[in-house]
Amino acid sequence: MEKKVREPGGPPVQFALLDDILNLARANSLWPMTFGLACCAIEMMAAGASRFDLDRLGAGVFRPSPRQSDVMIVAGTIAKKMAPAIQMLWEQMPNPKWCIAMGNCAISGGPFAYEEQYAIVPGAHLIVPVDIVIPGCPPRPEALIQGLLALEDKITKGEGRNVLRRFKRVSGGES
Amino acid sequence: MDELVRNEAGDRIYSLNLGPQHPSTHGVLRILLDLDGEYIVKADPVIGYGHRGHEKMGENRQYKQFLPNTSRIDYLSGLLYNHGFVLAVEKLAGIKVPERAKFIRVIAAELNRISSHLLWFGTYLLDIGGITPFLYAFDDREHILDILDTITGSRLTYSYCRFGGVCRDIDWKFIEMSRAFLKRMEARWADYEALVTKNVIFIHRTRDVGVIDRELARQYGVTGPNLRACGVPFDVRRSEPYEVYDRLDFEIPTGTKGDALDRYNVRFREMQQSCRIIDQALDQLPEGEVLAPKVPQKLSPPKGEVYSAFESARGLSAYYMVSDGSSGPYRCHIRVPSFGNLNVLNDVLPGTLVADAISILGSIDVVIPEIDR
Amino acid sequence: MMLKDIEARMQAKFADSPLKRDETGVTGARWSVELPISAIREAAMEFNGAGFFLESITALDFEDTFELVYHYNCFEPASRVTVRVLCGHDQSPASVCDIFRGAVWLEREVHDFFGIKFAGNPDMRPLLLPEDADYHPLKKTFGKVGAYHKREVIYG
Repeated sequence: MEKKVREPGGPPVQFALLDDILNLARANSLWPMTFGLACCAIEMMAAGASRFDLDRLGAGVFRPSPRQSDVMIVAGTIAKKMAPAIQMLWEQMPNPKWCIAMGNCAISGGPFAYEEQYAIVPGAHLIVPVDIVIPGCPPRPEALIQGLLALEDKITKGEGRNVLRRFKRVSGGES
Repeated sequence: MDELVRNEAGDRIYSLNLGPQHPSTHGVLRILLDLDGEYIVKADPVIGYGHRGHEKMGENRQYKQFLPNTSRIDYLSGLLYNHGFVLAVEKLAGIKVPERAKFIRVIAAELNRISSHLLWFGTYLLDIGGITPFLYAFDDREHILDILDTITGSRLTYSYCRFGGVCRDIDWKFIEMSRAFLKRMEARWADYEALVTKNVIFIHRTRDVGVIDRELARQYGVTGPNLRACGVPFDVRRSEPYEVYDRLDFEIPTGTKGDALDRYNVRFREMQQSCRIIDQALDQLPEGEVLAPKVPQKLSPPKGEVYSAFESARGLSAYYMVSDGSSGPYRCHIRVPSFGNLNVLNDVLPGTLVADAISILGSIDVVIPEIDR
Repeated sequence: MMLKDIEARMQAKFADSPLKRDETGVTGARWSVELPISAIREAAMEFNGAGFFLESITALDFEDTFELVYHYNCFEPASRVTVRVLCGHDQSPASVCDIFRGAVWLEREVHDFFGIKFAGNPDMRPLLLPEDADYHPLKKTFGKVGAYHKREVIYG
């Protein structure tokens, strides 16, 4: 399958300062889509529930509709039968939008990838453009939180520019 | 317009596509519903959106290599499937398991059963509109995951059992944490009872909804809590006791009518019984080895077949394996309980309201990738 | 009690297919019986009448033949019984979906994986595979395969 590049999405003329402010708002209120495929979805739920509480990052508002969400967390194995549905969901999301491939299955097929595997799509990048990958089988909720923070940094183009970021790296953070 | 499907009164029958992405379908289930007003006239569940080819993988791998797959079949009760697979291979190869390992497996399996039921409890109430119990249940569940984390090193997809025992012994810390958890849950059951079980809105959403009676359950091969809710005390732990279940004292909770409320009550009481089992097993835990000596690294069981049933959190599960004498199975079939439990929706959903369909689906507690394998 | 009843009835009905008892418990079944392909429905009706449920249907692919394996079980007392049916690669066995309603899906699954068409099942759409799938992955001629034996290699 041909690898897609990100659609431009933005207008041809950009206002640097305004965009920065908008990105700051976008980064700190990511709304993920309620959408689980397999095991990783349970850890995604756990991340949103009592102990880990994604609301601290502004990312706890799980939306059941793609039209209201900014970030798609591909959590689980992508079966061949499911792949067209995922593509459709991605296309239904309004720009700007981001995609997180959570877990080894969504990255590369994980434990289910072997020669002549007939049932799965080995990697979310083959059907949607992926911004962040979170390894693990399944990744722990802490890993998902780190992935979301990494996505925030990507949106604001660096941790130092994300003045609203609640959790700072102790050391070694990029500026 | 004449080609449209109509009912006797001439009203149009609408088709509603529920899923595969829908917050209450618990994953990737799709149900094609034909609606007459708000009533369902026909339901056609479409599955396979989580098909990963476990059975084909089983044929291509050695027994040991398939071990990590087992906990990913039904990821909510991964340890139970892991345990079941090990049981099947031990039967096939004739491996004896030390006493202590048997007890540890039972303790770990029952902890996993409670965590699976707690997740169901939380999400079911979320489905029918109660958000708070979800947070309570996940809080309790995290405690179980912590306990299992200390011995398995994993939160969800455990690969803890080995052919001939378990990979790591439990220590005083595990026992202390388990005891503390059991104590904590005693107080929690009362909270849940006050918060949910006696809640009028909850009772109205579940009573007489989605009745599965004994005959219907038999026709579709429904097992587990969904079967016990209609009054049949069928539990593999009792009928074909494996490990040390025949030495432990526990009840099999049953319902009477087989509606969603009964299914809720059965699962709720099952969690309490699992606590009882853990308590007894911790008391009776013998000293000794946890892994049988001299189990070869590469198993080559004799030619023949094995069908080994066990009670997963959702019902009767079984591994059917045929060995040709080589290091991997010739055929590896997995009998999953959710298959029959979901299949019965073909008969249960017609005649109910759309809103009740969500309640029924939640009360049946299916894990889709388990069905799809 | 019920197991004894059905045992006697099966032996009377299928006199030339002896019951194989399993004392070791490895096969998980009290006994198994190998029936000719024409007797699938008759056996299913017997089990249905005795209050059994159909636990699983699966198949095995051998070089010379398919083997269908039906596991019947009973709620009280639990007593699993295995029924095997040899089914040639070009034969289509009779469906039991009007006897056990749940069999529609079980047979669809077997059709998915092995391409065995059940005569009389009204719904043979793919169940687990995509709607347009034209392959049968658990056939030993599909994809990566460890071994492909004749039936006697395993069952002697």
